Amino acid sequence: MIRKKDIAKLTDSELVSLAKKKSRHFGLLYDKYFEQIFRFVFKRLGGKEYIAGDLTQQAFIKAMANLHKYEDRGFPFSSWLYRIAQNEVSMYFRSQKKVFTVEINENQLSSIVNEAQIGNYMSSEEQEQLIAMMNDLEQEHLDIIELRFFQEMSFKEIADIYSISEASAKMRTYRILEKIAKKWNEKQ
Amino acid sequence: MRKFKLNKENKDLSPTEAQIKRQKDFSRLHHDYEKLTKRGKKPLYKDPKLFILLFLLGLIAFLVFLEY
Repeated sequence: MIRKKDIAKLTDSELVSLAKKKSRHFGLLYDKYFEQIFRFVFKRLGGKEYIAGDLTQQAFIKAMANLHKYEDRGFPFSSWLYRIAQNEVSMYFRSQKKVFTVEINENQLSSIVNEAQIGNYMSSEEQEQLIAMMNDLEQEHLDIIELRFFQEMSFKEIADIYSISEASAKMRTYRILEKIAKKWNEKQ
Repeated sequence: MRKFKLNKENKDLSPTEAQIKRQKDFSRLHHDYEKLTKRGKKPLYKDPKLFILLFLLGLIAFLVFLEY
């Protein structure tokens, strides 16, 4: 029997070892990370609560079923969960026969505009044009843009999710931004 | 497939505490997990060895019944 007082002191590796021994103990990891993962999925789905809830549960079931394969390679346990959740969301997007709309706000869009260096001010019409241009990007590229600008993740967090170095995460993001800027300048 | 759309009202896209509470349910998760992993378990009588054993016990009981 584990006391509540002791649980707080346990590290992620210890919680994972406990969960590997008994599936019920996975609840400790679930309690610790549910909110984080749910917020992530919720934002990616543009606020669709019930779909986000189902996909989060699905991601945790997969994590629970594959926990025996999990190895601590120095990345935080949460990045493994994020990766599973990310795949669940991508699979969901692919499975949708109709187009699934994700809402983004002006602040998030302006951070992309600033980073891609495509001007300081944009009219509503230009914002719509930029979004239409972004919608033509590959889905994998959109994933990175979403993580960086809509989920507001650091390069370190993105790197952990993709199991790559921080420098590679930064490089991938800036290459996509360059692509957006190039397309934008060609159109102007 | 996903497409972005501009949300001009700048409404917050974070879930509320009530939404998080509503969706967080480890019992359901554990139940779904058990259903998924324990699925396909054969009932005992469908096990060939156990079936033969049960059949033999039944036969012996029948023969004993006929004898007396």
